Amino acid sequence: MSRTFRVYEKKRGHRRTGSGWLAGAGETLFFGLFFLAGCGGLVAILATLVVPEWRVNNEFVETTCVVRAKELVEREDDSGLVYRPEVAIEYLVDGKPREATTYDICGAYSSDRDAEQAALDQFEVGGRYPCWYDPREPGIAVLVCGYSWWTWLLLSIPVSFILIGGGGFLYRAWHWGKSAERRAAPGMGPIKLGKGKSSGDGRNAYPTIPPPADMANSPGTTLRFRLPIHSSATFGLIVLAAVCVFWNSVVAALLLDVIAGFRSGAPNWIETIVAAPLTAVGLVSIFIFVRQFLIATGVGPTLLEISDHPLYPQRKYDLFLSQAGRLRLQSLELSLIGTEEASYRQGTDTRTESKCVYRQSLFRRENFEIHGGVPLEARCELEVPDGIMHSFKSENNALHWSLVVDGKVTGWPDYQRSFPVVIYPEDSESANA
Amino acid sequence: MNEPSVVIRFDGNGRVYRPYEILSGEYRLESFSLGYIRAVEVSVLWYTEGKGDEDMAVHEFQRLSVDDGDWIDPNRPGRFSVALPNSPLSYDGVILKIRWCVRVRVFPRKGKQVVGQRLFVLGNVNAVEFVQP
Repeated sequence: MSRTFRVYEKKRGHRRTGSGWLAGAGETLFFGLFFLAGCGGLVAILATLVVPEWRVNNEFVETTCVVRAKELVEREDDSGLVYRPEVAIEYLVDGKPREATTYDICGAYSSDRDAEQAALDQFEVGGRYPCWYDPREPGIAVLVCGYSWWTWLLLSIPVSFILIGGGGFLYRAWHWGKSAERRAAPGMGPIKLGKGKSSGDGRNAYPTIPPPADMANSPGTTLRFRLPIHSSATFGLIVLAAVCVFWNSVVAALLLDVIAGFRSGAPNWIETIVAAPLTAVGLVSIFIFVRQFLIATGVGPTLLEISDHPLYPQRKYDLFLSQAGRLRLQSLELSLIGTEEASYRQGTDTRTESKCVYRQSLFRRENFEIHGGVPLEARCELEVPDGIMHSFKSENNALHWSLVVDGKVTGWPDYQRSFPVVIYPEDSESANA
Repeated sequence: MNEPSVVIRFDGNGRVYRPYEILSGEYRLESFSLGYIRAVEVSVLWYTEGKGDEDMAVHEFQRLSVDDGDWIDPNRPGRFSVALPNSPLSYDGVILKIRWCVRVRVFPRKGKQVVGQRLFVLGNVNAVEFVQP
């Protein structure tokens, strides 16, 4: 046999070989069993805890008993010794004396010995106390009534089993025997990207184009809109600093231990070998932090304004670039960049890969200086080419467009600042009108 | 006897379509016998190819089912006609490709489903290549 039969074999992402029918049946069975386990647990808790407690509070008859003996019963379970008070009582039912050894209806044990002892100490041998007996079986009586909070908490376990199992079972049953197209068709079930789902611009449905609203809600001072930067340098720097401090604190503690070992003449070589790569990572994190810190503090803010947004192919847009700081630049370049992004699952990991597929230089200046308080201000024009792909975003794939400022600074790390833009399909605006 | 298959043909011989244009054509169910088919699904959809996990969305979906009282005659070609959407346009990228197609899925009374698919191009987007960022 050149090839063995494969029931189930996971490949990259959703792509699988083997029997789809068997996989679907397996999932349905799994969720069905989950649901049944939840139902069984719910019935058991209702029968043993909830219903008896309800009956004590609503059906049991109150009377008076005399305590004949009391004891703190202990037993051993998986978590160690557990305790429960037990009180021997005598009471009258229809004039006939009855005896019972009891406390509450649940008969639950607890590891909190002091609490159980305190409960037992409420009763004195020979004392008279109220008790409640079962009119159906007068031999059953309790000394306390009320509801236990943990009983209701316990209910959350089978209920969650029922919800997860039932939901999964219904989902699988709903999809059973249906084609991928039927499941994804608008109005035929849960869809992620269906016809008629608006992209958010309020004019028409662009289900796969990211909404441009965030990029056009800040007015510019020179041109119509000021474009937001892709990510805040300050926030990134704070995250980087936190990671750097945490990592290097751990490494420092480890290194102190290693050094102490060497100084005492009994070095721990395994610890030393483990510490070496961790120290290297720590040093790299410090280098990256210092580099980002220099960029964030040494290079002033970059502002980019645009005459209109979103963008359409074959149209021209004015751009206004402002770069502040006290810098001697080898070059400063503004480009329109298109980047494809693809996410895929490998095992339990989700990985994202991106590739630059378009670069159009819009402005470039070389060997110049920016003086403090006098930012560089430049204007240029962007003509979105004909035949260019529009912005695209689906669950696992995307094509992002952005205006990117690249700066090469003398004696300073290079920096890059990105301003996302949205490009719509050609003629889509006129088609909407 | 030939294997059952689905042949899809576009009116206009599968030229490049523009957004909002009408895509029409017909599908033929070949080598199917009368009474053999339980249901037929015709979908106009896009899907992604490339490095990422596949995304797919159905623009138009039609199902004919004998159980619902539809008459399915494999000897007569079925027709479809749909106004195409504004996006996403067909795209031939580096790690992402977007394909539009008409897919016909035939559910027989017994045995495996038979699927026929024909690609078409929506929009006139140029192919791209990897460039140094």
